[in-house]
Amino acid sequence: MSRRPLLLGLAGAGLFVAALDAYVVVTLLPAMSGDVGITIENFEQATPIVTGFLAGYVVAMPLLGAYSDARGRIPVYVVCLAAFALGSVVTATSGLWSFAQLPWLVAGRFLQGLGGGGLVPLSLALAADLYRDRSRAVALGSVAGLQEAGSVLGPIYGATVTAAAAGLGGWRFVFWLNIPLSLLCGAGLLAAGRRQDAGAPTTSAIDWLSALLLGLGLGALVFALYPDDPEHRAVNALFVPIGAFAVVLLGAYTWRQVRRLEPLIPRVLLRSPAFLGATAANVLIGAALIVTLVDVPIVGRLVFNLEALDSGLLLTQFLIGVPVGAVAGGLIASRIGNRITAIAGMAVSAAAFLQMSSWTANELDLHAGPLRQADLGLAVCGLGFGLVIAPLTAGVLALTCGQSHGLATGLVVLARTMGMLVGLSTLTAFGLYRFHQILGTPVLNDTDLRERVKHLERLVAAAFLQEYREIFIIAAALCAAALLVIALSLRPARTSGGT
Amino acid sequence: MTRILALAMLALVACGNPPPGDAGKILRDGATAMAGVRTVSATLKLTKGVVSIKGFTLVSARTAVRMPTDSDTVYTVKQQDVSFALEIVIAGGHVYEHIPFTPFREVTGAEAKAFPDMAKLFDATTGLPAIIPAGTATKYVASEQLDGKQVDHVSTQYTPEQVRGLLAYLSSSGPVTANLWVRSSDQFIPKAVLAGAFGDGGKDAAVEVDITNFNGTVSITSPAP
Repeated sequence: MSRRPLLLGLAGAGLFVAALDAYVVVTLLPAMSGDVGITIENFEQATPIVTGFLAGYVVAMPLLGAYSDARGRIPVYVVCLAAFALGSVVTATSGLWSFAQLPWLVAGRFLQGLGGGGLVPLSLALAADLYRDRSRAVALGSVAGLQEAGSVLGPIYGATVTAAAAGLGGWRFVFWLNIPLSLLCGAGLLAAGRRQDAGAPTTSAIDWLSALLLGLGLGALVFALYPDDPEHRAVNALFVPIGAFAVVLLGAYTWRQVRRLEPLIPRVLLRSPAFLGATAANVLIGAALIVTLVDVPIVGRLVFNLEALDSGLLLTQFLIGVPVGAVAGGLIASRIGNRITAIAGMAVSAAAFLQMSSWTANELDLHAGPLRQADLGLAVCGLGFGLVIAPLTAGVLALTCGQSHGLATGLVVLARTMGMLVGLSTLTAFGLYRFHQILGTPVLNDTDLRERVKHLERLVAAAFLQEYREIFIIAAALCAAALLVIALSLRPARTSGGT
Repeated sequence: MTRILALAMLALVACGNPPPGDAGKILRDGATAMAGVRTVSATLKLTKGVVSIKGFTLVSARTAVRMPTDSDTVYTVKQQDVSFALEIVIAGGHVYEHIPFTPFREVTGAEAKAFPDMAKLFDATTGLPAIIPAGTATKYVASEQLDGKQVDHVSTQYTPEQVRGLLAYLSSSGPVTANLWVRSSDQFIPKAVLAGAFGDGGKDAAVEVDITNFNGTVSITSPAP
């Protein structure tokens, strides 16, 4: 019996587990940040818990595929899985000792991201190695689908596991669970891959200079956007010099990659408006997508006063919409073309964000028939994102030959993750600044401490609601911008074939 | 919260530098040394159980004390799983409270008296220095190194009445065990771990207290306009 499905299944399972952890912290953030000493008035300090993972993910993703050409997919994959598991241990132990506070947690998340990010190109490359011709596209699609599914299911997975494991460490259990899962996937891959052909050895290696440029560039960008004093300014005091430094580093990285990628991706593709447009659209979509994944559970907690699990369940409506939209997007695109379908998807999501920008504190009490309006809005929003994902990916794949499908799909994911990273950093900076502006410095004259705190909670909830309403408007604008980019860059007619 | 800090402070004042094994003398010398403290900083972390203060769950606290009357204490508390810091400054006979995002506010009357006065815990005649040597079942545990300094590790026990004698509203449903680390050089107590039935509903709880900055510089600024 062929070992290919087993190998691909194990690699996909590992990738799925790692992808789950990208946003698993969203519903756990209050508990995690509290356990490392972050209080609500310094909540901006919790941002690196999310961006740390994304930064590691983005740094590793473009680097490790080529390295595995020389070292073999499975050994490098197992090393990445080990890094992910080690990062999980570091994350799970955060707050347990005096030395294991926020930097420890962020380091753990970064390590998780490095390992998890490396799994993306490795899984895609493994799929490409194992399958040929038409079945390769299916294999690549399955891997990409698992990565996407893991990302969007992460928040609800985290909330569910934490609730179920309340007596077993709560949020920490989510990360401890990664250890046996990683072991299972890693050991299975090593065992199943022993007889696998290693393929012709090449001289590929990790491009350390690129890794350094990308890592430093992203780190500088996230730092420049970090709101060190959100009461008085939206971004860091060193925004201009550090931001300029980030632009230089990322520019150098891009220039180097364009040159290095040339043998893999034809120059004509890199100059293709459709490819560049799809990449730009994915960056914008990533930024808008992160608004939903991160901010909706926070709105649920802080504005609607939901428990962690319930705030995760609120997001479920969105998560249901995404795969439904993805399937519908594939079907519709085959009839009316990628461009129109993607435009429609972005229009739907933009409209949903606009509706969400009018949410009120009692939004969950408002119903349209048997359904809550908020649930409907989120489901429609997810539907829009689902509609656009498949046509955009297909649009990029249609521009590349079969050998470049893995790389092209990886670039799509990379662009979206970059959008998420930058979007989250930017919108957190903006959001916290607006929060402080809206809240001001309230004077509480209630007679009892408990009453004063309750009063403050109401004021904070109102300020958060206003802040997130504005962020939803920005998300709608991001969707509109993506729509415009797609309209101007994607081919109007249905695409097919390769170059 | 108050009772936890008071229990913690119980552990601050003890012990000494006699031949290893003379736990009672170590305890007495420690109490004498701590009675001479003019300024001190301390952090407290709840390591077991749940202790609630006015409906908020205590996570940790840190305080700076300047004898005889001033203190600045930040309590980190949780509501559901959202943490926030509640700061209480007692300076010049006035009590001020700081809730996140709001300005300092002076509290008076019964509400002001309900906040623990950390400085009083160090009072030589009525505070911890007077209570600490009264521990029972005192035992010398070991000579150890703590933060690069030689310390004597002693364990002792206090009755609920002794604890209540320190602060009337402290209630433990059983004896409180204290593990104290007493510096050999100056008899100050840099670390204490307390365990007993002082958690919510009389359940077991434990706290770890780290004490620093003995007679060092502390900054306690009155928020008064």
